[in-house]
Amino acid sequence: MKAMILKEFRQMARDRRTVALMVGLPIMLLVIFGYAARYDVANIDTIVVGPDAAAVAADLDPVYSVATVDPSGTRATAEEALRESDAQVAIVTGSTPNLMLIDGTELFVAQSALRRLPSATVPQIMFNPSLSTANVMVPSLIGLILLFIGTVITSLGVVREREQGTLEQLAVMPLRPMDVTIGKIAPYFLVAALDMALVTTAGLLLFGVPFAGSPVLFVAFGLVFLFVVLGLGVAISTVSKSQGEAVQLAIMALLPQVMLSGMIFPLASMAGGVRWIGYLLPLTWFIKGMRGVFLKDSSFAALALPLGILVLMAVVVFGAAIMRFRRDLAPRRVTATDTVEATDAAEVAA
Amino acid sequence: MSAHVDAAHVTRRFGDFTAVDDVGLQVEAGEVVGLLGANGAGKTTLIKMVLGLLRPTAGRVQLFGQPPGLEQRRRIGYVPQNLGLYTDLSVDENLAFRAEVFGCAQVGAGDLPGGRHVGDLPLGLQRRAAFAAALQHRPELLVLDEPTSGVSPLSRSELWDLIRSEADRGAGVLVSTHYMDEAVQADRLVVMARGRVVATGSEADVVGERRTLVVEAAHWEGAFAAVDGAGLRPLLAGRTIRVPGGEDDLPTLRQVLADAGVEADVRTAPATLEETLVELSR
Repeated sequence: MKAMILKEFRQMARDRRTVALMVGLPIMLLVIFGYAARYDVANIDTIVVGPDAAAVAADLDPVYSVATVDPSGTRATAEEALRESDAQVAIVTGSTPNLMLIDGTELFVAQSALRRLPSATVPQIMFNPSLSTANVMVPSLIGLILLFIGTVITSLGVVREREQGTLEQLAVMPLRPMDVTIGKIAPYFLVAALDMALVTTAGLLLFGVPFAGSPVLFVAFGLVFLFVVLGLGVAISTVSKSQGEAVQLAIMALLPQVMLSGMIFPLASMAGGVRWIGYLLPLTWFIKGMRGVFLKDSSFAALALPLGILVLMAVVVFGAAIMRFRRDLAPRRVTATDTVEATDAAEVAA
Repeated sequence: MSAHVDAAHVTRRFGDFTAVDDVGLQVEAGEVVGLLGANGAGKTTLIKMVLGLLRPTAGRVQLFGQPPGLEQRRRIGYVPQNLGLYTDLSVDENLAFRAEVFGCAQVGAGDLPGGRHVGDLPLGLQRRAAFAAALQHRPELLVLDEPTSGVSPLSRSELWDLIRSEADRGAGVLVSTHYMDEAVQADRLVVMARGRVVATGSEADVVGERRTLVVEAAHWEGAFAAVDGAGLRPLLAGRTIRVPGGEDDLPTLRQVLADAGVEADVRTAPATLEETLVELSR
């Protein structure tokens, strides 16, 4: 038995990814839960408009972080600010009582605002008046499902080629690396796109989630996000020797996105450093986009930032993944330690 | 006409390790070239460079007079050690995929169970399916890396019939193997050791004048133990003991046996290909 235990420890120590999963993951979970898993919101982005804006803004509870005070603003200005995600709460002054418009797509922010309602103010929840969890979660879950298919399923599909030795066979067949790459990824892209349509339809029909915005923006977000997640899947596959390794890496890529994307815990309540990690994750921006499209009928201009960031991520992640995958199919370069100049012929031919 | 494979002064280094060192290799049409060598001799690395899967650190590889590339790959059939078939697809589906990629007509699975998943077939049938897939487009060059590894003698014989018939058709064949009885079926042997080519030619050319020491004793067990104890690496062939070495080593061997009190007849005989390979690989 002692021999068995020793053998197991030796194997465990050699498998760096398992060690990372066993040691790194608990630390990551602790940090995430410690700094991110908070439902209480300490900071609510606020705009105050109307003739009494300055006076009302001065009297507000410190939880309201007033970014704009606009005495000439109207209710329309306030609604626009919420729709464009410039603020989470907008107070319209000039009537008695004052009106507080609250962005209902930010569930915890809305609840915090309702708990700390200023005096002589009536609330009105916009975009998700019943503060329905399903309305907020379904658009986010579409992203999570795509992320799962994109990273886990795609990486497994590509790694299987390497495990079976068929990737090498493909490399000696009359196929260009681009043929193999597109041929390999296109089916996953189509299945993921179909999944997106199915999940969206099911979400709309089963949970009665409203779809207020532009179908074109919805499709644009979906396609760009698909490129990001498929790129992530291919990238994982290029650094994994086995399907087990690919699954481990995929878990490590998925977990932070679930925790830090704002899907479960509000970004507004996270500690600064952790929130910035959230901003680096594609799911964060997809969720912002989907909530804007589904619930707020946000304009293209309002969603340009999340869409632009996703496009940038798609170019970087997908591009890098494809280049690495291509390297598996084309002759490898000689290493820097090699002193004799190699023929360029094989490289050119590839 | 240029050779199907023409590799000259090919070297491949991985960091400080030289896997293939200044090797030349030619394969002509209709010729079966057997690539021989112990594990780690550099056979697979050389094959990968011939196929364009690895770039040589130095030297030149040409297929049909050109560097390995898309057009050359159309003319190659390759069976890797791990077969390169999709085990979760049926034989027919694998053949259809290859036919589509090479733009040729799909051949029937013949007596192979075409509808069954490749992964469900015994290794012998899997290898035949891999051959069928590789030969479908009638390649001018067939590259086979340990193609009969792990299959029964009968299946190996069938696969070699297939290799010969491809060569008779005019295809050049480069085949690596560690089975000596198969190696002798090649038209020409290229023996590699420590990344270098250490012998080429027919079996007779490779063996040359090499001889081995043969020990015959009434009590062969005692003789074997004595020779083995002296670190002379004996091999047992029936009850005959064969020891690497030549005429010059006879006195030493006789002394070892005498010291052990073993009576034995000791002489030299022509070395076999396997013994030659062992000697060359030292």
